[in-house]
Amino acid sequence: MNDSHIGENAELYAVGSLDELERQRVEAHVANCADCLRRLGQAEETVLGLERETQAAPLPADARAPQFIAPRRAVWWLGALAAAAALIIGYLLPHPPTASNGPAQVAMLHSHFNHAQFTGAGPLAKVIYARDRSWYYVIVEGSHAYSVEGVGTSGTIDLGSVTTRDGTSELFVPHARRFERIELRDGPNVVETAQIR
Amino acid sequence: MALPHVSRIVHSPKDFRVRDEALEAAFARRDATAYERAYQQFGARMYTSALRVLRDKELAHDCVHDVLLHLWRKGTSYSPARGNLEAFLVVCVRNAALTRARDDARRRALLAEAPPPATSTLDADPFEHAHVTEALSKLSETQAKTIQLAYYRGMTHTEIAAALSEPVGTIKSRISNALRTLRDALGKESLR
Repeated sequence: MNDSHIGENAELYAVGSLDELERQRVEAHVANCADCLRRLGQAEETVLGLERETQAAPLPADARAPQFIAPRRAVWWLGALAAAAALIIGYLLPHPPTASNGPAQVAMLHSHFNHAQFTGAGPLAKVIYARDRSWYYVIVEGSHAYSVEGVGTSGTIDLGSVTTRDGTSELFVPHARRFERIELRDGPNVVETAQIR
Repeated sequence: MALPHVSRIVHSPKDFRVRDEALEAAFARRDATAYERAYQQFGARMYTSALRVLRDKELAHDCVHDVLLHLWRKGTSYSPARGNLEAFLVVCVRNAALTRARDDARRRALLAEAPPPATSTLDADPFEHAHVTEALSKLSETQAKTIQLAYYRGMTHTEIAAALSEPVGTIKSRISNALRTLRDALGKESLR
């Protein structure tokens, strides 16, 4: 797979000839490439055609459907916001916040903000951002040092890397620029993308 | 009268296949009801795909559960622009099953020694079997051999390259070309 497109790996992904890491790279790429997504989908449809050679076997008699309960991702990042809220209260008191992520809480105190979920092959992640795009606050589950890039009409900007705190990693970016999307990168590979609307 | 939410109806000698675009869109939005419907509609096909690889009913059904719950928790990487939801799910579960099989040395040996699975534990669909056999006949001898190893025996491209003593790049191109030939031979419309 070259840097631009997945190429032959679309068919290899569908037929099952890629290992897990190679599949993750394909998934990360097609999250942002309509042409490759279409090629991958066509390859998947071909494999479905081969699978139909056998009749679908009935599910086991005692099989039950999985329980699709609201996942943890709906709340995990709220912990960070709860911490932010606590520090905002602290900010209103005579002593300013002393935590390392104080700037994020201060920014949220003074702004209207939105949030967007990252999608892709990487960890649970979210970006909270000012509606006027004056700052971005990226929160990633886990302690891996992902780098963060902002992609806009004027190009891609390296925003830095997340740093770990209490089981989550985060990066506050006081950056007055309008990005169309934020990307999490692991080395050269885009693993997650969040669309900024 | 046009059917709501349905844009593609594919006729085959065996049945009608209808892509439910409302379901596909709801699945992409990570709607719980859509996930339940996807399990109801495609669970048996997903289970069969996992069973072809794992040859164990309990493991195969666990694999279906794990894949759907992983997609649900993680946020699906499916979008209707990708294509057929059933194809996406089948490939997801097949890849998950292959990962399990490759991680298990005993099952890996079983895969390498096993005959093509359709004739062993699963019932062939007479029409589709003839259709696939005819499509496979369009492949060159080397393409057919490579597809046999990649698809039917679940080997990675690096394993195939080692087994055939050929460069990895050659094997990748051959698998890619073979699958594209099969797509044309099977008929693009019938695959949707």
